[in-house]
Amino acid sequence: MKKVLAMVLAGGRGERLYPLTRDRAKPAVPFGAIYRIIDFTLSNCLNSGIRRIYALTQYKSTSLHRHIQLGWNILSAPLGEFVEAVPAQQRIDEHWYQGTADAIFQNIYTLQVERPDLVLILSGDHIYKMDYRKMIAFHLEKEADLTVAAIRMDRRLSREFGVIEIDRDWHIIGFEEKPEEPRTIPGDPGGILASMGIYVFNTELLVRRLIEDVRSDSSHDFGKDIIPMMIGKDQLFAFDFRQGDFGGVGYWRDVGTIDAYYEANMDLISVTPQLNLYDPQWPILTYQPTSPPAKTVWIEEGRVGAALNSIISNGCIISGGNVKRSILSPKVTVHSFAEIQDSILLEGVDVGRNAKIKRTIIDKEVQIPPGMEIGYHLEEDAKRFTVTPSEIVVVPKGIRL
Amino acid sequence: MKKKILVVEDEESLRLLYEEELKSEGYEVLTAVNGREAIELLETGKPDLIILDIVMPVMDGMEALGRIVGKERKIPIILNTSYSGYRQDFMSWAADAYVTKSADLSELKKKIRELLEISEKSRNL
Repeated sequence: MKKVLAMVLAGGRGERLYPLTRDRAKPAVPFGAIYRIIDFTLSNCLNSGIRRIYALTQYKSTSLHRHIQLGWNILSAPLGEFVEAVPAQQRIDEHWYQGTADAIFQNIYTLQVERPDLVLILSGDHIYKMDYRKMIAFHLEKEADLTVAAIRMDRRLSREFGVIEIDRDWHIIGFEEKPEEPRTIPGDPGGILASMGIYVFNTELLVRRLIEDVRSDSSHDFGKDIIPMMIGKDQLFAFDFRQGDFGGVGYWRDVGTIDAYYEANMDLISVTPQLNLYDPQWPILTYQPTSPPAKTVWIEEGRVGAALNSIISNGCIISGGNVKRSILSPKVTVHSFAEIQDSILLEGVDVGRNAKIKRTIIDKEVQIPPGMEIGYHLEEDAKRFTVTPSEIVVVPKGIRL
Repeated sequence: MKKKILVVEDEESLRLLYEEELKSEGYEVLTAVNGREAIELLETGKPDLIILDIVMPVMDGMEALGRIVGKERKIPIILNTSYSGYRQDFMSWAADAYVTKSADLSELKKKIRELLEISEKSRNL
């Protein structure tokens, strides 16, 4: 059994998710009522038997550090297992990480101490279920130096991805970051192979290439610099995500924008969501403080506490209000005669009497005063809140209404 | 213009020896007694090449090597040591050359000439 160390790049700023990323890095953004985005990657690691995991953080990392410390301190240190958040330590360079490759290089001392055979480099920004063991087995079978996980995307999306060019054997023969004219998949002119930012590296070769990169003019990025430099020199293979996709539905989301975030959340309340959170074979773990069970109260003429087609977390009280097609994180209170539909309410939100909320994301702990309407008059809403191109309203954390 | 070499070495006798020998080769020589001094001299002294001892007090050569490549990516660095175990250290791979300590400095001088030539060429590209 090869010794594998996972390094999760968890410094993503997620600027297009603003204001949800105003106070937290993208991997710490809440998702699916009780999770944070990074929980999916960390759960993939554990479900794949990988139990030595560093999450490399930098910007706005307090919330992420707290989450990992409270929620992921579940492995056995005496057995050499850990999930540990590592802040940018500036031991080599006094700057923030300059690119994805720089983030790993700056942690070279950590690699030194751990001395793994293979390094699994992951992003903490994506939502998917993947058995990394399949990818590692492929990497070993091909005797690769580097294996990159790849997913088919429509060629029109090429400007958003690193595009991989392969031969019949899945040997990588080209790599372009966000090209306008992408190389398509052989025999599939409408499709491209997009890099998922998931890499399996032989440790020694990784270190050598990182050092070469650090000593040259480079943006120190795996997609822009390291992979193109290695093509033709090292053995690079692409791994088809479908071979490792747990559940086999091809689900992988970047949730890079508020609209994508909203859609991905809303998918969870459909009858059979693409992303199955209820599969005991692939548990998604998180941190959840103990809360009392959710409850609904009042059933009388004109005043019914009810939630339909919704996700309701622990600690929620729906007291005489009506919730439809919505996602309620823990400890949300909905008071009498309030109406909530097609919305996402994060932890501790309190919706006052007679308030009406539609197609709105409300960040943690916001108090909605009685009678307030959000999502009904978008021009008015746009004066104080973010309103997205798909007309989703976002009420930021800390706002007083 | 004379090329400037930074010698980082905690042992005084060796430092003096290097300084004298390299000066007679026509180089300008800066000296530092540990990694921290070396990093300070990086900015003020602008060396063209660095000869770095590994085992030193205050800040050792391996730590200094990491900080130097973090700041000045292109200065050639020669690791100069009497221990062979240093190659276990990933960071040592960032050096451009390794020369074992010896009273005979001919190998060191040869490496210096080679590396200065290479860096001169890459600068002229």
